[in-house]
Amino acid sequence: MTSRLSTVILNIVTWTLVAVIAFPLVWMVLTSLKPQSELFTIPPGFLPREVTFEHYRILLTDTPFLRYFVNSAILATSTTLLVVTVGALGAYSLVRFRYRGRETLAGLVLFTYLLPSVVLIIPLYLMMVKIGLSNTLASLVIAYTTFSLPYALWLLRSFMAGIPEDLESAALVDGASRMGAFFDVILPQALPGIISTALFTFILAWNEYLYALVLVNSDQSRPLTTGVMNMLITAFNIDWSLLMAASVMMSIPLIIIFAFLQSYLTRGFGAGGVKG
Amino acid sequence: MTPLERRYALLGLALIAPTVLILTAVIVYPLLSAIYLSFFSIYTPTLAGKAVGLENYRTILSSAYFWHALWTTFVWTAGTLVLQIGFGVGMALLLNQNILFRSLARSLVLFPYFISTVVAVLVWRWLFNDLYGILNHLLIAAGVIDMPVDWLGSMPNAMVSVITVGAWKFFPFVVIAVLARLQTIPEHLYEAARIDGAGTFSRFTDVTLPQLRDVLSIVILLRIIWDFKEFDLIYLLTGGGPMDNTRTLPLIVYQQAFGLNQMGMAAAYAVAMMVVMLVFMLAYLAYSRDRSTP
Repeated sequence: MTSRLSTVILNIVTWTLVAVIAFPLVWMVLTSLKPQSELFTIPPGFLPREVTFEHYRILLTDTPFLRYFVNSAILATSTTLLVVTVGALGAYSLVRFRYRGRETLAGLVLFTYLLPSVVLIIPLYLMMVKIGLSNTLASLVIAYTTFSLPYALWLLRSFMAGIPEDLESAALVDGASRMGAFFDVILPQALPGIISTALFTFILAWNEYLYALVLVNSDQSRPLTTGVMNMLITAFNIDWSLLMAASVMMSIPLIIIFAFLQSYLTRGFGAGGVKG
Repeated sequence: MTPLERRYALLGLALIAPTVLILTAVIVYPLLSAIYLSFFSIYTPTLAGKAVGLENYRTILSSAYFWHALWTTFVWTAGTLVLQIGFGVGMALLLNQNILFRSLARSLVLFPYFISTVVAVLVWRWLFNDLYGILNHLLIAAGVIDMPVDWLGSMPNAMVSVITVGAWKFFPFVVIAVLARLQTIPEHLYEAARIDGAGTFSRFTDVTLPQLRDVLSIVILLRIIWDFKEFDLIYLLTGGGPMDNTRTLPLIVYQQAFGLNQMGMAAAYAVAMMVVMLVFMLAYLAYSRDRSTP
């Protein structure tokens, strides 16, 4: 009897906390669906009395949102492809080859992963101005490798370290070359790890703000983060339902990715990423 | 070394070469360059500069502005860290129990960590809105306050708000790490404790906590480093105000470089900030090395 009671209490406490944590995001969605007039009623209603998709329509047709969205998609995809390709080769090297300086290199990669962006941003800004890349998406792809490459390398390294060495040795004995073994044995084995690394890298690039703020100052190549913030700053009257609609829209790709990653996260993959 | 081993070593170097080249260009060079720039006085728009030696550092160390910002950074880091760890561990323990719709609860809790800081800030600024924000309405309705509160424009509210939003955004990281560790604690340890007559509480202090010690040390070090260098969240919530009271060191670097156009000074602030962080970075490196090499 007492144990049933404590189960009920446990459920109530946990779900109350979960509701509090989730509330801001629920409120975001609800606000984006309310007509403007409902935002300013006192007291505010919880559910919209009338559901409208007007703000989403305005967002897509009357604002540069769609361009920002495309920019972000291009930016995050290119960063991910670059970083995962380079990172997979590098991680394979760090895990399976012996040469002098290997451990030092691995330590340095971890160190770079901890560096604050604000330290690197001044020289990177000067560099982009000098080579004429400022205000381009390419400058952001380059800048994003500063945090995403060490991150991807570190994750891929722990994934590849988990692949039994026998598999590769067997392929080598059968006459495969090292690179042949890499493509035939390591890559397929590491595929789940590579996919989740790619998804995590995509999220990092999609959400980045500071480099985008400093390096890009034209609507032509602004990504979503700075673009949407710009909509807030330059607005004459802040239209909160429009901004909430923008927030929902820019979170949708993340929700989709999150659904893929969820099983990894709750099954202890998170610890692998943390443990390093 | 046999010829084959030598060839393998060369192949290994060739595979890591792209990584090394990229990291040299975008990290090593800029890092050294930042240190170099900190000895100059540079006007951002024209990039005209002259060498000033240690002058920038002398100015920084003798200005109340720097020490105030350092203190602000410590308050922010400590405040949000304590909330993240306390709430993160508590939530992980709850989510490790058999509750209804457990995986849904886990997803909902993890979500703030994955959304963009821009989205988090927009949502919270709307919640905090002094006239139409839901937060003031709820608190007035509950009788906690009788006047709408200015959450971001006055002190100490602004600092409390920033710390709270930081905790909300980043505590899921603690949940992920701790939850993953909790799932690997062998059940027989709890069995043994139960046979020895340990109650719920002493099972927690004698079995769970010691098992969590390693992961907590790492999580705390990482969170200190990341919170210390956090820019987006504070910049977008308060912009450093009111009256510089939430202006942490990363915000000063940005302000000096792109607001006041003092690029050399900004570099010096950045280097000073790195030096403070270095303690925690080295601690983290030492800790992870200890554990990865048996």
